[in-house]
Amino acid sequence: MKKFRYLLYKDYLLLKRDLAGLLLMFLMPVVLVILMTLLQESTFRAITDASVPLILINNDKGELGKAIDKELEASGVFKIERQIEGKVPTLQQIEKEIASSRYTLGIFIPENTTENIQKNVARYVLATFSGAVELPAMDSVGFVIYVDPTTKASFYTTIMSTLKEKTQKIEFDYIMKEITRQVNEISPIPISTAGFAGQQVYIDIRDAQLEGKDMVPNPVQHNVPAWSLFAIFFIVISLSGSIIRERQDGSFSRLLTMPCSYTEYLLSKAIVFTLVSLMQFGLMLLIGVFVLPLFGTESLNLGSSPLALIILGLSAALAAIGYGIAIGNIAENFHQSAVFGAISIVIMAAIGGIWIPTFIMSDTLRMIGMFSPMHWGLSGFLEVFMKDAGVKAILPESGMMVLFGLVCFIIAIAFNYRRRLDV
Amino acid sequence: MGDTYAIETRDLNKTYKGKDHPTLNGLSLKIPYGSLFGLLAPNGAGKTTAINIICGLRKYDSGEVIVDGHSLANGMNPVKPLFGLVPQDIALFPTMTAYENLKILGGLYGIRKELLEKRIDELLGLFDLSASRNSYINRFSGGMKRRVNLIAGLLHAPKILILDEPTVGVDAQSRRLILEKLVEINRSGTTVLFISHYLEEAEQICTEVAFMDNGAIICQGHPSDLRNIYTSCDSMESMYLLLTGKRMRDNQ
Repeated sequence: MKKFRYLLYKDYLLLKRDLAGLLLMFLMPVVLVILMTLLQESTFRAITDASVPLILINNDKGELGKAIDKELEASGVFKIERQIEGKVPTLQQIEKEIASSRYTLGIFIPENTTENIQKNVARYVLATFSGAVELPAMDSVGFVIYVDPTTKASFYTTIMSTLKEKTQKIEFDYIMKEITRQVNEISPIPISTAGFAGQQVYIDIRDAQLEGKDMVPNPVQHNVPAWSLFAIFFIVISLSGSIIRERQDGSFSRLLTMPCSYTEYLLSKAIVFTLVSLMQFGLMLLIGVFVLPLFGTESLNLGSSPLALIILGLSAALAAIGYGIAIGNIAENFHQSAVFGAISIVIMAAIGGIWIPTFIMSDTLRMIGMFSPMHWGLSGFLEVFMKDAGVKAILPESGMMVLFGLVCFIIAIAFNYRRRLDV
Repeated sequence: MGDTYAIETRDLNKTYKGKDHPTLNGLSLKIPYGSLFGLLAPNGAGKTTAINIICGLRKYDSGEVIVDGHSLANGMNPVKPLFGLVPQDIALFPTMTAYENLKILGGLYGIRKELLEKRIDELLGLFDLSASRNSYINRFSGGMKRRVNLIAGLLHAPKILILDEPTVGVDAQSRRLILEKLVEINRSGTTVLFISHYLEEAEQICTEVAFMDNGAIICQGHPSDLRNIYTSCDSMESMYLLLTGKRMRDNQ
């Protein structure tokens, strides 16, 4: 144990004197987490504050036109204009405005829409109650919607389904009201519309929530764990570099001729770099809780299980250390380890949802991202931050990271054994 | 046999993976206790492989290695504290001071703190480095680095000292100091295995030399005894060229 303390002291001194490595491990993630959170925060605000520009021409003086107008206004999704340059536009002008992308949507409700529906319903009811074999054909009643052709398909679908849902509900309510009125005129016993009101099959689509909390991470909830993981994995450069330098300058061989085993050599590095990782993690959490709010963001809610956070932090550290040791043993020189280490971490981060959250990625990329240790770590942290998850809930993510670290560790030992002893 | 030789290899063979020819081809080396033994060989003759095997850094294919009566086949743990290795590379931590390097390397041998401090001061003084105790290794001259490299192998007062080209790339003053101290260390009872390309150095300080080529010992004895055998040779260098040939060698 006394001898092992000297190994720890050696790795501590080597790390302490590696200024570039320390800057990479501590300063870079701090800058990144603040910068990326603020960038995403402003983008997030811009998106949520924005309204879809819509031009609405309601020429119907009846109830249906008024109801549609009122519903669109109340939805809060649209920024509604009723005139262009002080004049009510024609259908052709609306088309031209939408085509030039000044407005995303244009809705034209023709004159007498309500009246035409009333007439249709009246004829239909009369025909039904008079025992007609063939029901009269309904006159076409409707309005015109223009959509900007450059609108993204997903956005178009969302807007159109919202619009259809609202107008169909208004139309249905109105038709039921008209049928009731027509029936009451010809029937001796008055009927009520109460039994017909509303949908009979109701589908309520909501985001999954726990105790009313919003499940889409805000920029702080996403970026703090994301860049913490990135920072933890960036120790790979410094760790693999120190292994290679010691191998190249002969000090590694010298240590092995002394009463020091290869396991002790690696264990000492693992302990020192685990402490570094935990310090990085702690620093990033402090930034999330205390520093980011100074820039106007929300403060990071750490959840209710500090133990779960510690386990996740340790698991991520083990994964990164295993990976660093593997690179340090496989790479021939420092240049190789630095380039491969940095690129592989950036790829792991990209597919793991560190830069861009995975929920906005394509299915294929999301599936590839499932193999990134950073994705496992991020999922675990989001469980704790957003669902108040405890230790049990994060064990799968934590276990995957530990397993990854162990596999890397075994590869490193096997590689070193073959290379060093030439067996 | 173990009582006579500090290091003994018996019919040692080693062929690296992917190589056609063996690097060690039945190497049988006998280094008596108390000797200052020079191992002389051209590049690629297998001397570094032999040293690495003796120090436990490489596996061998067949044969036997016995260090101070311990067969390496039974593990390196009993052997490690017995010898000090001074590698050809400056195997030190360049971002640490001379004192920090020696403290860590000595500490790994399990030397008690007080004794280690005393030993560091003593050896730094012996090699004229006391004033540079707290200077960083990466600011040292080549000769100073070589001397610290040597001290690191001496901290635990090993029974056997193995030096691989300890004077390469140093000035005449540092070389003289290193050789003088090696003789002193040997006289105090330490067995020294000295590998060098400088044949005059070997002739000057070694009590016994061995010429090695193609992975085997081709000649071994006291320098003066060898002179008596190879009477046509007027120097160690001419003897070396006679035994190993004038063909250029490259490291394999």
